[in-house]
Amino acid sequence: MNLNNVDLTNCDREPIHIPGRIQSHGFLLAVDNQTLTITHISENITDFISSSAGDILGLSVDRFGEIAGFSGNGGKLSQLLTLGSTHRSFDMVNPYPVHINNLDYYLIISASGPLFLMEFEPATIEYDLQNQIGKSISGILSGKNLRSLLHHTAREIKDIIHYDRVMVYRFLEDGHGEVIAEFKNEDLEPFYGLHYPASDIPKQARELYKLNYTRIIADVNTISSPILTRQQDNAAVDLTNSVLRAVSPVHIQYLKNMGVASSFSISLMAHGELWGLVACHNYKPKYIDYKAREGAKLIGQIVSSALEYREDEEQDQQLNQFQHAMGMLELHLLKDERIVSSLTKQQFSIQQIVDATGVALSLENEVTTIGQTPDQMQLRELFDWLKETMEDTVYYTHRLPEVFHPAKAYKGIGSGIIAAMISKNMDEIIVWFKPEQIATINWAGNPDKPAVLSENGLLNLSPRNSFELFSQLIENTAVKWTRAEIANVVKIREKIIDSIAKKAGEIRILNERLKRAYEELDTFSYTISHDLRTPLTSIKSFTELVIATNKSLDDQGKKMLSRVVAGADKMNFLINEILKLARIGKIDTEFVTIDMTKLIPECAAEVTSAQHAQVKVTFGELPAIKGTPALISQVFTNLISNAVKYSAAVSQPLVHIEGEVHEEEVIYKVQDNGIGIAMGHQHKVFELFKRMENVKDIEGTGVGLAIVKRIIEKHDAKIWFESELKVGTVFYIALKK
Amino acid sequence: MIVSPDIFYVEDDQDFAFIMKYAVKEVSDHLTVTVVEDGNSAIAALQRYENEKHRPKLILLDLNLPGVSGLEVLKRIKEISYFKYVPVVLFSTSDNVKDVKTSLEIGANAFLTKPVGYHNLITCVQSLYDFWFTHNRSIN
Repeated sequence: MNLNNVDLTNCDREPIHIPGRIQSHGFLLAVDNQTLTITHISENITDFISSSAGDILGLSVDRFGEIAGFSGNGGKLSQLLTLGSTHRSFDMVNPYPVHINNLDYYLIISASGPLFLMEFEPATIEYDLQNQIGKSISGILSGKNLRSLLHHTAREIKDIIHYDRVMVYRFLEDGHGEVIAEFKNEDLEPFYGLHYPASDIPKQARELYKLNYTRIIADVNTISSPILTRQQDNAAVDLTNSVLRAVSPVHIQYLKNMGVASSFSISLMAHGELWGLVACHNYKPKYIDYKAREGAKLIGQIVSSALEYREDEEQDQQLNQFQHAMGMLELHLLKDERIVSSLTKQQFSIQQIVDATGVALSLENEVTTIGQTPDQMQLRELFDWLKETMEDTVYYTHRLPEVFHPAKAYKGIGSGIIAAMISKNMDEIIVWFKPEQIATINWAGNPDKPAVLSENGLLNLSPRNSFELFSQLIENTAVKWTRAEIANVVKIREKIIDSIAKKAGEIRILNERLKRAYEELDTFSYTISHDLRTPLTSIKSFTELVIATNKSLDDQGKKMLSRVVAGADKMNFLINEILKLARIGKIDTEFVTIDMTKLIPECAAEVTSAQHAQVKVTFGELPAIKGTPALISQVFTNLISNAVKYSAAVSQPLVHIEGEVHEEEVIYKVQDNGIGIAMGHQHKVFELFKRMENVKDIEGTGVGLAIVKRIIEKHDAKIWFESELKVGTVFYIALKK
Repeated sequence: MIVSPDIFYVEDDQDFAFIMKYAVKEVSDHLTVTVVEDGNSAIAALQRYENEKHRPKLILLDLNLPGVSGLEVLKRIKEISYFKYVPVVLFSTSDNVKDVKTSLEIGANAFLTKPVGYHNLITCVQSLYDFWFTHNRSIN
């Protein structure tokens, strides 16, 4: 592959595992795994031993050892290879210390297809790393949460390898990364919080990070050394497992543009995926040897498992909270409570089954809100929109203002919503809100301009040469709803619907029972009144008979017996009234047009003649209404009767009746200038057997207005009144036109 | 030999029947009343009157009777042609419109709601007497 062909558009396809070159701080041999003869060698071998590449190619590996003058530990290189291939791993061999020209090197062996790669790197560390790594790990793990764990990681790594800057870089959902922890020399500007576009670390590079947990680029300014071979097919050696693998020129340019001279990275893994990187930058060339890298790798592995655990734990903790809230809500829904209050008024509210900052419920004909929600008008508009657009029972978005523009007004409260439709017909819906999440993303360079034109007009090889802070406003976007949150909403919706269905069933049964009770009461009142009449008749008749026929009765006796008769009369009147009330329940209402100009004066005449009252009754307009004539007649008879009765005592009693036609109804009023009804007793007026304080001396049973109310209810009409003591009372009735 | 009374009264309420006798006497000393307490006795007595060819001048019939109902008795009376022109007055505590309608359809000559009290009863019997015995004497 020609280097000139690499530009950013094919960056993702660049075969970076077979660059055909190595970094020049060490040298490489490739040995045929059958013959143990050297098939490939890096050109820079001459920098380390006094033989040329041409001299060594084709030699056996042990012959090479002799030429290189390996001393000290005496073992033959072929023995190392045999040992590793028998165990299918070179872990127990690596790193193998050797001396070349009195310098210390580590030999690192790995397998690559039919070849063994033998890489020689300088060994630099003189002291024991183990102790320091142990201390670092306990320092790292002292972090109680994810953030502090990662912060400690950056600090401890810097302490071990002394790079100028150590960052913990995390990959986000869309592949771009964010610096979430950093430890650096004080003179450097912070990268903490910066975001890097996904193209900065292409896909195949990420795959390599998953295979090799550490990666060092010792010096971006040295020229890599080509791998030479005499083989005819000239197939490139797979350097996937190589520690010296040369760096993609694109990446070298990237680092150069950033001013970085040396870079070292440690992979952070979680659930088998690349979670992030510990990225170390040095602004001067820097090399750390195999043992230091292994130490860093160990830390990386421990941090990986810790963060996996911590992250799971933190997620679990939140999930547990959701689940706990769910459980409590379900419990309250099962109890005999109002649905809204069981969802909002308890220790755990429906807000807590997801990570929401507010929730609005349109249930049971009212809108209830908890936490931060848009105002009532905005909610109405949102509900209407959801009603129109929702096809499924649950809808969610983390970018509401993009799909529903009015939501821009409250993006700070509800850029993300999740809605559960309870009943479209009943206008019942629940909506959870999440605020706009990231007001700005600080990109390390404009992510939309990865490539720039170079001076000669060609696309620069560089991914980009500007790392200037580029602030991009990410508007109208909330944190995405998780699968667990959506599942909870689906589940709570089902529970609510079950609960509503159950309650509806209960109400229906109650209603039936009430209806039956009402019927029974009607029958009961009717029968009892009827049966009471017979003995009452006897009481009255016999008493009267005694008074009329018993000659031995003196005046005193007659007087007393006449009280018995009066009592019986009163009781009889009462029974008749109750019979009337009970009978209303037995009459089926029908709506026929009633000529009120006939009905009202008839009622009035009946009342005045019965009460022998000197009350002036006047009529205004008497428009026709629809109703059951016998019942409507009863209503007006009772109202006029009251008006007459309670105004009879004033000096110029006046009762006036008139109706007024409105759009959908006719409102009648019966007005008097009588004694009035005291304020504060209005609600009692229509109750059975209730009589007001100021009417004690006026005959009455407390049944009349109860009858009126029942008839009005049966007609789906309305009745109300205005009154003032000693001024008068006006009763209003709204009847069907 | 059985002599039919002026008023044949079917009434299960003994109290009311007792009072009625007084009220009738109060209206006219000469009026005779026979009271039977249930429908079957009423039918049996009327059959005997028919056999003996005696007609009461007025039949008062309570609606709510134990056993055979007042309406049933009314039906039987109207089936006997001998009593075709004897006025039958339904006499009940009920003022149910349905009862009134049914009894008039079957052939009752009037439907009276039982008055409450002795004095009211006297007034009631007086008007019955005036109408059926005095002004409409020709019927009998």
